[in-house]
Amino acid sequence: MRILLIEDDVPLGAAVREHVMADGHSVDWAQRLDDARDHLLVVRYDLILLDLMLPDGRGQPFLRRLRQEGDSTPVIILTALDQVAERIEGLNAGADDYIVKPFDLSELTARIGSVARRYSGSPNPIVHLRDLEIDLAARSLTRAGRPIPLTAREWTLLEAFLQHPGQVFSKDQLTEHLYSFETEIESNVIEAHVSRLRKKLGRDTIETVRGLGYRLTAA
Amino acid sequence: MRSLQARLGVATGLAILLSWLAAAAVSYAVLSHEIGEVFDSALEETAQRVLPLAVMELLDNEQTEGDRAVRRVTTLRRHGEYFTYLVRDAGGNVLIASHAADPADFPPFSTMGFHRTATHRLYSDAALGGGFTITVAEPLRHRQEVARETLVALGWPLVAVIPLTLLAIWGVVRLSLRPVRRFRLALETRGAGDLSPMDETGLPAELLPLAQAQNRFLDRVRDALEAERSFTANAAHELRTPLAAALAQVQRLYAQTEGSARRRTAEVEQALQRLVRLSEKLMQLARAEGGRLRTEAPFDVREVVRISLRDFSDPRLDHALAETPVMSDIDPDALSVLLRNLVENALRHGQGPVRVELSAQGVLAVSNGGPVLDEGTIARLMRRFQRGATRAEGSGLGLSIVQAIADGSGGRLRIASPAPGREDGMEVFFELPR
Repeated sequence: MRILLIEDDVPLGAAVREHVMADGHSVDWAQRLDDARDHLLVVRYDLILLDLMLPDGRGQPFLRRLRQEGDSTPVIILTALDQVAERIEGLNAGADDYIVKPFDLSELTARIGSVARRYSGSPNPIVHLRDLEIDLAARSLTRAGRPIPLTAREWTLLEAFLQHPGQVFSKDQLTEHLYSFETEIESNVIEAHVSRLRKKLGRDTIETVRGLGYRLTAA
Repeated sequence: MRSLQARLGVATGLAILLSWLAAAAVSYAVLSHEIGEVFDSALEETAQRVLPLAVMELLDNEQTEGDRAVRRVTTLRRHGEYFTYLVRDAGGNVLIASHAADPADFPPFSTMGFHRTATHRLYSDAALGGGFTITVAEPLRHRQEVARETLVALGWPLVAVIPLTLLAIWGVVRLSLRPVRRFRLALETRGAGDLSPMDETGLPAELLPLAQAQNRFLDRVRDALEAERSFTANAAHELRTPLAAALAQVQRLYAQTEGSARRRTAEVEQALQRLVRLSEKLMQLARAEGGRLRTEAPFDVREVVRISLRDFSDPRLDHALAETPVMSDIDPDALSVLLRNLVENALRHGQGPVRVELSAQGVLAVSNGGPVLDEGTIARLMRRFQRGATRAEGSGLGLSIVQAIADGSGGRLRIASPAPGREDGMEVFFELPR
């Protein structure tokens, strides 16, 4: 997933970014609301991690404006404010979840997964694809009880396909999904990831649509 | 005597009574003097009217009959007499007596003019150089009766006026104290956490400064409590941010290191986790023991319960909330802290499922399985910095925080073990303040 992290505390932001990237997502990090708005103009994110006290304003009005503009990107609030009134305000402004600092990074992973699943329309973390059983919460993939290991990038790729089954993803879309702005990537890296994932899942699970991209074939 | 009404009533009543009595005394003195004069003049008049007639009659009779028997004046019909008289000669022999005259009432003639005996007022006059004297008597009883009637007539209004005055005072005071009573009632019935200014309209001018002073006092209390609360909240915010950074960095470090460095990183992380929990508990305790655990207006607490339970992802946790709004004026943060502590405790120390229930009657209950606790353990659990017989990790502050919030908010806390309807475990009940 392509994730926008809005957090002004540098040591915390750096650790969160590193962790979420290690989970296989691509992360853009904005330390101010202005920067975040600039990012949002250019990229369609799958998730926003939002701190509430930024140097140039508070998170709730930012979020409310985002929703008023019709942006329905899932938002998880990360904040040191634990007052009930703040939580209610945050959730009313359109947040999907609320995590109070300090938090365990593993907890953050779980919340990100749960919000993403809620948006993909299947809140059930266990998904069946042909003879494969995919546990999205635990990030485990098994065929007939035998685990198949996936790398973080491969997981992210699989999650993207699972969120929109049947949709054709262009190479650019998949790149955006996997990598943030700063990452320099080789032109054939997406092909490489898709081909490795195909090998693990089964040849005909991912279909190449000539000239357009790739799509998951459920049948 | 504390009541303004009673004080006013008694003071005014006494003042009216005394001034009325003084007025009555003066009137009585003046009246009885005047009445005396009128009666005296009547006495004198009678004597001077009767004497010439009597003398004429006596002289006539003397010439015709010559006997000197006592004459009783005949009457047309019997009647009571105020005035009686005797006509006597120079030797004191009674010549004529009015029909009800009793000679014993009349002392011998001494001089002309007014006299007084123990029972009568007398007037004497003489004619023919003292040859005939007349003495007219009027019983003093008569005058006393008149005086008494006057006195009674003066007293009657007093009997009527004093109760009427008291009634009027009671009415006026009651009427003018109505806004005061309304003010008092409003003060008594407002919520325990309501520090908003009181409505001062309609209060009498004498009491207005009191109400204004009270409102200023409420303002100061509210400001002080608000400052304390925002300080606690700010301190918590300032403390959590670096802790979050440290924890996240250590967890990243753990993920990236191997061997003994990884082991030591894990130790640092554990120590940091303990620090995080302890600082969180101390901040909660500061909040719980600070002021202002009640809000200005009651609200539906179900939303707060739902939000507080979102923090837990443990599948053992289950909840059931009333279907109708449950209103309370407990501070939402205090309620959230209380509930989270109860749930944390139940998950950490209990076994089996943990159930949170909120009844429509405003009782929040958290139950869990586990060994049955005896009275002594329950009492010890409620004391700060003490732990029950468990190996589970905890600061021991949880129940103290819960207790402090219960005390500070006016809610009632109860622990039952075994949990009602079960054979084991325990259930903590918190009756929300309303």
